[in-house]
Amino acid sequence: MTSTGHRKSTEAVVKRRVWDVPTRLFHWTLVVLVALAWWSAEYHEDDLHLYFGYGILSLLIFRIGWGIFGSSTARFSSFVPHPASVHRYVRDRFHWPTAGHAPLGALSVVALLVMLFVMVGTGLFALDEDGLFGGPLAYLVSIPASDLARELHEQLFNLLLALIALHVAAILLYRLVLGRNLLGPMITGKAKLAPDVQPMRPGKWWVALLALAAGIAITRWIIAGAPPFGS
Amino acid sequence: MFGKAVCAICAVALVAGCKAQPAANQANAVIPSAETGNAASAAAPLSHDQALALMKQRHDHMEAFGDETKKVHNALQTSSPDVNAIRQSAAKIAELAPKLVSWFPAGTGADVGKTRAKAEIWQKPEDFALKGQDFETAANQFKVAADRGDLSQINTTFAALGKSCKACHDLYRAPEKH
Repeated sequence: MTSTGHRKSTEAVVKRRVWDVPTRLFHWTLVVLVALAWWSAEYHEDDLHLYFGYGILSLLIFRIGWGIFGSSTARFSSFVPHPASVHRYVRDRFHWPTAGHAPLGALSVVALLVMLFVMVGTGLFALDEDGLFGGPLAYLVSIPASDLARELHEQLFNLLLALIALHVAAILLYRLVLGRNLLGPMITGKAKLAPDVQPMRPGKWWVALLALAAGIAITRWIIAGAPPFGS
Repeated sequence: MFGKAVCAICAVALVAGCKAQPAANQANAVIPSAETGNAASAAAPLSHDQALALMKQRHDHMEAFGDETKKVHNALQTSSPDVNAIRQSAAKIAELAPKLVSWFPAGTGADVGKTRAKAEIWQKPEDFALKGQDFETAANQFKVAADRGDLSQINTTFAALGKSCKACHDLYRAPEKH
């Protein structure tokens, strides 16, 4: 879901970095954890489902930190789109002069991140219908509230699946219709950029580690039911 | 849309299944004994309204189990669980548990009304009754632990109770439809 600024001209193109290591690790770990969370829910692996959820929450908190203090292409300020920029991007036939998320792809990224936060948020307060297992914060709310959280958690998963399908379909369309490879850069981190395209400004590795540590710490804090998440 | 299509297919399949086994469809109003799970003892069949009323009541009872286990689950999550509240829940569960199998007479399946009770209940009545018996035993053991007020015992017996719910639900309860 990116524009690599590729142009159909004979200009010299060079492979340059567009996605840093933390962003790529985040992306693929998230893919694996969401798949595992889905599997564990379908097969009633209750304990595992909670752990996968905690893993996703840690990653999401990391991503917030990396979205504020990370590399230029990972920063929300660089990609959270304005309606005008989406319009301009479509009008300009999907040309985007900066390395990183193009406006349409950015919309998809924001939607996916928000959806994942909603899923984790409802999961934290949900109880399964037999009262056998539940999110670590369920005991802080009434049983009808937990039932509602479970309903939302189950129903909204379909919306998340739809967004994931759209994400994958768009990548295929870019490949097949526009001839742009978006998958490769998310694996190798590098893409062919025209010389006039603004490259990525990398973030600091220790900032990434700090963001990850914060993600794990805050998640553990929530699980432990520490204030303000507990009695 | 897809869900409705699946529902329709399931409903057709269930009706077909019942037609293939007329004995399983002989409704009766007599409460079957939990020991044998024999739901087909001689008695007048359930009328449609009777069946629907029974299914509604059954649904409420199952929800009541869920409400109590949720309360216990929540209580056990706190740093100092309210043993008195757990005791009350355990008493309600143990009181209802012996009746559970009797809420499933023949003629109260998905072919009659809205229910997640699977046709397998009436195809394997002995196994179903056995699962009900396991549940009753687990409920009694949980009540003993709760009455004693020993938290580690409460935790163990509550986990066992949960397993007995799951053992039956995995086989005889259809997934929730959205």
